[in-house]
Amino acid sequence: MTNALMTLFPPDAFTLVAVILGMPLLGALINGIWGKRLGNNAVRLMALTAIGVSFVAALLSFLALDTLSHARKDEHVRLVWTAWEWMTTSGKDSAPIGIDVRFSIDALSGVMMLVVTGVGFLIHLYATSYMEHDEGFARFFAYLNLFVFSMLVLILGDNLPLLFVGWEGVGLCSYLLIGFWYQKAENAAAGKKAFLANRIGDFGLICAMFLIAYYCGSLDWKGIADHASNLVSSHEAAQVHVWPLGGGQYTGVLSFLQPKSPFTITAATAVGLALLLGCTGKSAQIPLYVWLPDAMAGPTPVSALIHAATMVTAGIYLVCRMSFVFVLSPFVMTMVACIGAATALFAATIALVQNDIKKVLAYSTVSQLGFMFLGVGVGAFTAGFFHVFTHAFFKACLFLGAGSVIHAMHARIHDGDLSQDLRKMGGLRKYMPLTHWTFLGATAAIIGLPGTSGFFSKDEILFKAFINRSEYHPALKGTLERLHAFQPPTWLGPVLYGVGVAAATMTAFYMCRLYFRTFWGEFNGWKVGTPSEVAAQEHGEHGHKDHGNDHLQIVAGPAPKESPWPMTVPLVILAAFSVFAGFLNPGFHIFALPPMEHWLEPVFKDVMESGTIAVRAGGEHLEFPLAAGGVGAFLVGTSVAYWMYIAQKRKPADAIAAAFPRLHRLMLEKWRIDELYEATVLAAVDSLAETAAAFDQWIVDGILAKVSSAVVVALGAALRVLQNGVVHVYAAMMVVGLTSIGWFFVVPHPEAVVTETAGDYVIVAGPGMGYGYRWDADGNGRPDTETFSDQATVRVHLDLGKSQVVRLEVKNAFGFTAGREISLSRPKPEPTLELGSLGGQIAPMGRQNGGQN
Amino acid sequence: MVPFEHYILLSAVLFTVGSVGFLVRRNVLMTLLSIEVMLNAVNLALVAFNRARPENHTGQMFAFFLIAAEAAEVAVGLAIVLSLYRLKRTVRSDEADLLKN
Repeated sequence: MTNALMTLFPPDAFTLVAVILGMPLLGALINGIWGKRLGNNAVRLMALTAIGVSFVAALLSFLALDTLSHARKDEHVRLVWTAWEWMTTSGKDSAPIGIDVRFSIDALSGVMMLVVTGVGFLIHLYATSYMEHDEGFARFFAYLNLFVFSMLVLILGDNLPLLFVGWEGVGLCSYLLIGFWYQKAENAAAGKKAFLANRIGDFGLICAMFLIAYYCGSLDWKGIADHASNLVSSHEAAQVHVWPLGGGQYTGVLSFLQPKSPFTITAATAVGLALLLGCTGKSAQIPLYVWLPDAMAGPTPVSALIHAATMVTAGIYLVCRMSFVFVLSPFVMTMVACIGAATALFAATIALVQNDIKKVLAYSTVSQLGFMFLGVGVGAFTAGFFHVFTHAFFKACLFLGAGSVIHAMHARIHDGDLSQDLRKMGGLRKYMPLTHWTFLGATAAIIGLPGTSGFFSKDEILFKAFINRSEYHPALKGTLERLHAFQPPTWLGPVLYGVGVAAATMTAFYMCRLYFRTFWGEFNGWKVGTPSEVAAQEHGEHGHKDHGNDHLQIVAGPAPKESPWPMTVPLVILAAFSVFAGFLNPGFHIFALPPMEHWLEPVFKDVMESGTIAVRAGGEHLEFPLAAGGVGAFLVGTSVAYWMYIAQKRKPADAIAAAFPRLHRLMLEKWRIDELYEATVLAAVDSLAETAAAFDQWIVDGILAKVSSAVVVALGAALRVLQNGVVHVYAAMMVVGLTSIGWFFVVPHPEAVVTETAGDYVIVAGPGMGYGYRWDADGNGRPDTETFSDQATVRVHLDLGKSQVVRLEVKNAFGFTAGREISLSRPKPEPTLELGSLGGQIAPMGRQNGGQN
Repeated sequence: MVPFEHYILLSAVLFTVGSVGFLVRRNVLMTLLSIEVMLNAVNLALVAFNRARPENHTGQMFAFFLIAAEAAEVAVGLAIVLSLYRLKRTVRSDEADLLKN
């Protein structure tokens, strides 16, 4: 079968990609255009078929890739399909840079493709039930299919511009789906926020593309990899002048800005920082993470698919994809790792106290993305990407589980925020066993229970963070002093490890808190039972007091119900993968399965062998000792959460909150980062906008528009007199016009065009009806011939420094004559100028073109 | 034989009479008549030029075409005049000012 596959789809013309990409696009088009008319059943069928077929095609592609990689061991095998040639641009020294619409599947994009289509299919299936009663059912699936298409373009695109198309596409779909329930202003605002934060990152990506096109002269992966060494050569050309900008000179009043020696960075650092900005935007890292928690305003399947499993990992994918550029700059690598570690810790602190089930998961996603950044930042690309892989399963499962819980809560609580409030939940494991068990599985994975997928991937990242160190490319070694090169400090590894362990501990704590408060204890949503039973119960109890939610009417109702099968089946599958996917990459090499690391090895082989990732001496033997950090984090976090929320029934948590009320509030309000941004960045933008608006109002509207409108009004008043609707006036004007044209024909027009080559002047008279010409070409003041002839061209030769006057006379059919004089002069060339740069100069002439009839 | 210049002179006089009539008369019927006069002046000039240069018959053929065009123009023009009369009970062009303002 694989042979047939390879024959049908050869690796260099792998047209199966068209199916993988085309089906979701087709689904998006059909659902988007005809969805409303087709009805929900047809929409569901179309959406599921599109992603299902795409998934099957992706599986087949993966099989083909596997066969190929077995055939060519240790080689970076790729399946390539060039759809069409897109455009050609030019780089440095106007060397052409071809940009094709070309897609390629290698181990990295293959795994990502499987995750997107596979998890995507499960979430589509889930959403068919979750969104069943929504009015925008067709619209939802059109967007969701379009998202899968864009994401696949992002992953499979073989060059940066094509990746950027997908990058923008997923950003658009994210915006559309966050604001899916756009009738609520805050949802629309959340969509806008996501779009704008992403736009800042996109700016970085665009800059990176320009820099890469300039320095590498290529934009596709292979071309960039081949020319990446241009980015760090010790030559001056690979230095980017940061100050003074572009290597200029500040003079005059600005001369105080001129530094003693220019501050330069390598091109690799510039490209890396620009790419990093793009990645922080898409992958929600400090400082651009603020959009992701708000993005939870969208439907829960969207949060699961886009804002947890796939789109937000695009930044890590890009870092892995461009790893050969990142490793060239230790500064950028350190930045990536530090940003990742900081985000992991920072987001975890916020997640500790949040009460909204989706908000906790959102900050947990930000935190986990930080872990991935930490991994790729220390050169552990395989580990970082493996965490992308496992995170896709357990976070999708967690979000879908949360969606299932919200779905059940919605039975009685119709307020969107309250139905997601942890304080309203509790005890749900009795009512929703499947959701409970799958949620438990995914929680076990994210908190790193030894043996689950999250444990393996997180442990690997922490281990590599401790032992790895970024170094300069060998090509730069000799010139480090001259460049004042940045060196990552030796204490960085242990610090990153410590921060990672702290974040992992918090992760264990807040995830267990979430789990316990949702599924254990008493159910707080409403009184379970029929109204009469509840009334009997109420008699014996006090009124239900809860944290500041007294305004909520406590209603009675039946017990929360388990969700229907289209929602639980994806949960079970995802939970199974969350728990067991770790065995695909056993960090301890216990199992004999083909480890994922070997799969990805060829992709990162060149990077790993380039000598830029150094390993601390003796670090290889620290794997087991360092695993203690991860296991310890799990044990501490889990047991503290158990003690606080189960053993002591939340009393210690309340006590701590009461002891530090200001800190608790600060954390509850997300460290007020949104408010900080509002006061600084947004205020700056707003004041700029206000200035621009004032300029528009007073200068543009007030002066320019008034002046031009006054001109138009005056002209209109004048012309209105002519357009008076009286036929005779029009007729008179016509007569005037016709008379003018007639007069033009009656009078002869002597016009001529002069061209010169090396002193030979050719004078061509303009044509006209019945024209005869008479020339005085020798400049003696008398016509050369007595009669007029149809000779329209004369030739005159002039030596250097000479001048002459040529006279042309024209006689037309009416016998009128007219003449003009054409002065020719050929100045001597000035000694400093090159000969020939000054041609014969023509004396002032009315018109150069004598064309008329 | 009448000299060529006389034809041209007559044609010019007719054309002038027609154009002055076209410009000064307010009665649409008279305007149409003036246009006819001008067209016939042109016809006369065409035929006269043809006679002065008898190598081919371009001028005469052109005159025939013009006669056909005139017939069509009169048919349409008179129809417009009739419509105007039905609408405004007048055939004076300065009173047909529905487009004004």
